[in-house]
Amino acid sequence: MIAQLVLSGLSQGAIYALVALAMTVLYRATTVVNFGHGDMVMAGAFAVYVMVLYLGLPYIAAAFIALALMFALGMAVDRGLVKPARHGPHIALAMMSIAVGYFLRGVARSLWGREVLPMPRVFDIPPIFLGDLVITGDAIVILGAVTVLVAAFFLVFYRTNVGKLIQAVYQTERGAALIGVNVARFHAVMWGVAAAMGAIGGILIAPVTLLYPDMGANLLIHSFAAMTLGGFGSLGGAIVGGLLLGISEQLLGAYVSTALIDVTAYIVIIAVLVIRPVGLFGRQAVVKV
Amino acid sequence: MTDTDTSPLNATRKPASPERGDAHRWLFYLVPVAALAVPFLFNDYLQYVANLMLVYVLVAVGFNIVLGNLGQLAFANTAFFGMGAYATGLLMAKLAVPFWIAIWAGGLAGALAGFLASAAALRGIRMYYLAIMTLAFGELMRWTYIHAEAVTEGSSGLGVPTATVFGIPLDTEAARFYVFLAIVTLVVKATANLLRSRVGRAFQAIKDNELATAALGIPTSRYVILAFVWSGAVVGIAGGMFAIALGRVVPESFNLLELIMHFAMVMVGGVGSLAGSVLGGVVITAAPELFRSYPGMQELFLAVLIAFVLLFMPRGLASLLARVSPLFRERFYRE
Repeated sequence: MIAQLVLSGLSQGAIYALVALAMTVLYRATTVVNFGHGDMVMAGAFAVYVMVLYLGLPYIAAAFIALALMFALGMAVDRGLVKPARHGPHIALAMMSIAVGYFLRGVARSLWGREVLPMPRVFDIPPIFLGDLVITGDAIVILGAVTVLVAAFFLVFYRTNVGKLIQAVYQTERGAALIGVNVARFHAVMWGVAAAMGAIGGILIAPVTLLYPDMGANLLIHSFAAMTLGGFGSLGGAIVGGLLLGISEQLLGAYVSTALIDVTAYIVIIAVLVIRPVGLFGRQAVVKV
Repeated sequence: MTDTDTSPLNATRKPASPERGDAHRWLFYLVPVAALAVPFLFNDYLQYVANLMLVYVLVAVGFNIVLGNLGQLAFANTAFFGMGAYATGLLMAKLAVPFWIAIWAGGLAGALAGFLASAAALRGIRMYYLAIMTLAFGELMRWTYIHAEAVTEGSSGLGVPTATVFGIPLDTEAARFYVFLAIVTLVVKATANLLRSRVGRAFQAIKDNELATAALGIPTSRYVILAFVWSGAVVGIAGGMFAIALGRVVPESFNLLELIMHFAMVMVGGVGSLAGSVLGGVVITAAPELFRSYPGMQELFLAVLIAFVLLFMPRGLASLLARVSPLFRERFYRE
């Protein structure tokens, strides 16, 4: 019983981890918290849905085209909307990301209204039975994808020059610019990467959560909770936070009350910020004066 | 406040010109007086929208105190709004408390929520942490409305009886409009006075540099609490009016979409500007009503409007007004 709960918590948590990871990468690279990321996940999933069901493309091709489209969208958002507002107050950037998310949701809503659509699966893996334990195909795919992505990002962040670049820009944009980093292009690329990760998330998540224009808000709150729990801005923290959130949701739901599943994320956010604001793996936040 | 008080907030500053101050005052009362004519000009539906506008003017004014004047990224506004609406609604529906008492109780409930939210800000939680925590607070409250079915009647919503003011039932949109107009005028005027006083200047100082403000001997935490409590009270009163205007309180009125609407009102009107909040409340309430029958258009319109304002007039509609006439410039409004 408890093993099964932990397992389904893990696969649910992997979803949160995936979304939180993308938001953390963007935050680390550009110091912008993308409040529209949930909607980017939704947009990526809808892009695949349209290409597979309306245009009849094979699934893998559709997934890659969606990735490229979302990458372009992310870059366009940075170039057209975020960069011009960069010198204003920081709150304006948060608002801009909300506007982007709202726009994507508006497009989806004008085409699909309040429909909830089933999303076809990329890999239809049959469930595995280990004694009493049932491991669903979705869980295998999502956990596998998250593991690969996390490994890739850790390699990039801590083992390559790109990673050093990211840390340099995060610490001081001016300093990075002085040693010859093209900060503007770097930001645009990171927005592209974040949006493309949103597309990956959408493709993996939508078969489980179903596909509807409002799916972003729920994902956003959960990934906030994951990031807060793990430590805002910590890559590993986002993953561990997401997984722990998923597990605690399942355990609270099973042993205390099912009504608590919806509210675990909020309780986690408030409890963490009251007890230990930097989260599990966060370092003391540096306040820019 | 005596002459011997040497607090830097009391540094006397001469008004630019006494006439401008008078004109300001004159202008302030002109708007509600002109609004008296509204019920004679509009049909019932437009009148209902006008009532909602009054509700959202208070919502935006209250939100702006924390966001614009105090400069804290706190998103607990739907919690203030919901607490106010449920307090007023519950008192009227379950205990038959008269409207004109219940509405202030709504303000009190909002103030309490504001006090709770200020605890987060005082613990040194700032910026995105504060944003996320207050966001969670609002969602937690919404979950509570849904699940405390014995009290709030859950997601089907709480019916609110017709309000009566001094024996006159507020059963038409026009009657509600006049009562709302009186409340809004009173609360906005009180807020304007507060923001013009030493308290308002303390808010501004904390926004500009909290550390320096504290170093000047100004008790910053007291002012932070006050800003949150006042903001909560204003939005709580708006919540009470909202319960009356709709005749029903539903948890879904206090979700994240609603929060984005509130945020958009402040941003579009002008962060930190009182006149801007009033404008933002009116414009953002009116706009979605135009697109009611086209799904998705509300979101698209709001998104384009917000992006446009952020890119081309970062100080909001209020700055547009100020450009038209110096009469609209606010003395204590800075970015």
